[in-house]
Amino acid sequence: MAPVEIRDLTKRFGSVHAVSDLSFDVQAGRVTGFLGPNGAGKSTTLRALLGLVHPTAGTATFDGRSYDELDRPSAHVGAVLEDAAFHPGRSARNHLRVLATTGEHPEGRVDEVLAAVGLEDAADRRVKGYSMGMRQRLAIAAALLGDPEVLILDEPTNGLDPPGIRWMRGLVREQAANGRAVLISSHVLAEVAQSVDDVVVIAEGELRGHGTLENVLGGDDGPATEVRSADQERLAGAIEQRGHVVQRDGDSLLVLGITPGEVGEIAGQEQITILGLAPRARSLEAAFFALTGGET
Amino acid sequence: MSALLRAELLKLRTTRTFAALVGAALALSLLVVVLSTTLGSDFDEQDVRELFTFDFTPLFILLLGVMGMAGEWRHRTITSTILAAPDRLRLLTAKMLAYAAAGIVLSLIVTVAIMAVGSLVLSGRGETTIGLADLAEVLWPNLVVAALLGAFGVAIGGLVRNQVVAIVGVFMLFAVEPAVIGLAIDVGRFGPIVGAPNGIIGINPIEEGEDLLAPGIAVLVMLGWILAGFAATAALLRGRDLV
Ligand SMILES: Nc1ncnc2c1ncn2[C@@H]1O[C@H](COP(=O)(O)OP(=O)(O)OP(=O)(O)O)[C@@H](O)[C@H]1O
Ligand SMILES: [Mg+2]
Repeated sequence: MAPVEIRDLTKRFGSVHAVSDLSFDVQAGRVTGFLGPNGAGKSTTLRALLGLVHPTAGTATFDGRSYDELDRPSAHVGAVLEDAAFHPGRSARNHLRVLATTGEHPEGRVDEVLAAVGLEDAADRRVKGYSMGMRQRLAIAAALLGDPEVLILDEPTNGLDPPGIRWMRGLVREQAANGRAVLISSHVLAEVAQSVDDVVVIAEGELRGHGTLENVLGGDDGPATEVRSADQERLAGAIEQRGHVVQRDGDSLLVLGITPGEVGEIAGQEQITILGLAPRARSLEAAFFALTGGET
Repeated sequence: MSALLRAELLKLRTTRTFAALVGAALALSLLVVVLSTTLGSDFDEQDVRELFTFDFTPLFILLLGVMGMAGEWRHRTITSTILAAPDRLRLLTAKMLAYAAAGIVLSLIVTVAIMAVGSLVLSGRGETTIGLADLAEVLWPNLVVAALLGAFGVAIGGLVRNQVVAIVGVFMLFAVEPAVIGLAIDVGRFGPIVGAPNGIIGINPIEEGEDLLAPGIAVLVMLGWILAGFAATAALLRGRDLV
């Protein structure tokens, strides 16, 4: 059982298919980037995982248990959702004290997490006067309160300045180094590319890629091959069967992660005639756009 | 459960809403008591009892519960509250108990204050006063009503969820219920805001022969209202997506 398991998750809002038949795992000790353009279904998936949204079908669990079944959820899972909200009249410290009381965490944790996010000096001011970045830091402090094994972060860099974004990267790396599973969503690949080990790419509610960052999106200098053959469908199937990612690009295929030589070898084994074969330089961003069907 | 209850009480203590509502209830009640004790005369014991039975406090206690629950949607804190306590039934129970306790505290402060001030003015003017034992007898039904209304306010806030609409709704009920009592006592005496609470306190504003509920029955009727509100709010909380 993985720290986070999404299985055949489907969520419809009336006629809107927000998430369709989505499955993936998140591993301990790794940072998993959850990527997709606006409206792809990232937040809906995370909310279903946290028991806030009822799935139309499928399951989303932590070590096999749904969020509602966890004994002390905040000691197991820490979450930062989009547009984190706080009572404007309550101070950061009091907000955290309330959560520490509910989760039965020691009072001392409040000061620890305030220090961890750099809010000590503002802790006794009412949240009403906080900047967006300060609110985001408070939300992160709340997620860390129970020292959880799993961190779920929905676009956590929203409102953070560049030093804040750097700090956030360090934080998720540190959490993963301590054996935690981190799932971090973003619609901007560049923002997480430096800090993730694995990626899950979705678009229109469907899974478009899942694996290590290298495998799914290639590196800046990772190999990629453009190929045209007599039987594109069969070739694509054969390459995918060997664990490589294939994208349909007009009437040619874009194969990620392997060289023209390796593609040729597969075609040979399957006895498919090659019509054209060329190495293709591509950036992470281009690969991401190609996967999600955006502009290149 | 006790952790949740402590957290809800801590929430109450860490914003200004509770203090503001207690202040407003206190100011209004003291004003009325000072005016009626200085301007009135020939008080008998029953007059004094009724004087010390609150008239505005139920409104403020209901508002407290309504704002405590509907405020979770208004400030969008409901998500973080549910994440911390995913069991909606336990959360709602803790909320109702916390606001019942808050209602008792508010009522205690207001009632003791008006009793002290009222008795002082009355005795200063040489009017009738009532002894401590009688005061206590007036006090405790007030506290029972306060606890029940605090919990009922949470149910209204949870059902309506839009804080402004819920507050306007509470004011309207305060206007409608006495009218229903006047028109059809058989229906009105079961009302959750005026009818049953007045039954518990034992005020009978109606003509001879047209009685409100007996206190014991009235408490049961109130508990019925709270239970219905609890069930409806719990169903809403469990069924709805929080997006
Ligand atoms: N409560 C709702 N009612 C109706 N449709 C909804 C609701 N919530 C989300 N959707 C729809 O579901 C789809 C996925 O939305 P979601 O918020 O999960 O996307 P996202 O990947 O988080 O996007 P973003 O990057 O903009 O945050 C969208 O089409 C959205 O309009
Ligand atoms: Mg989103």
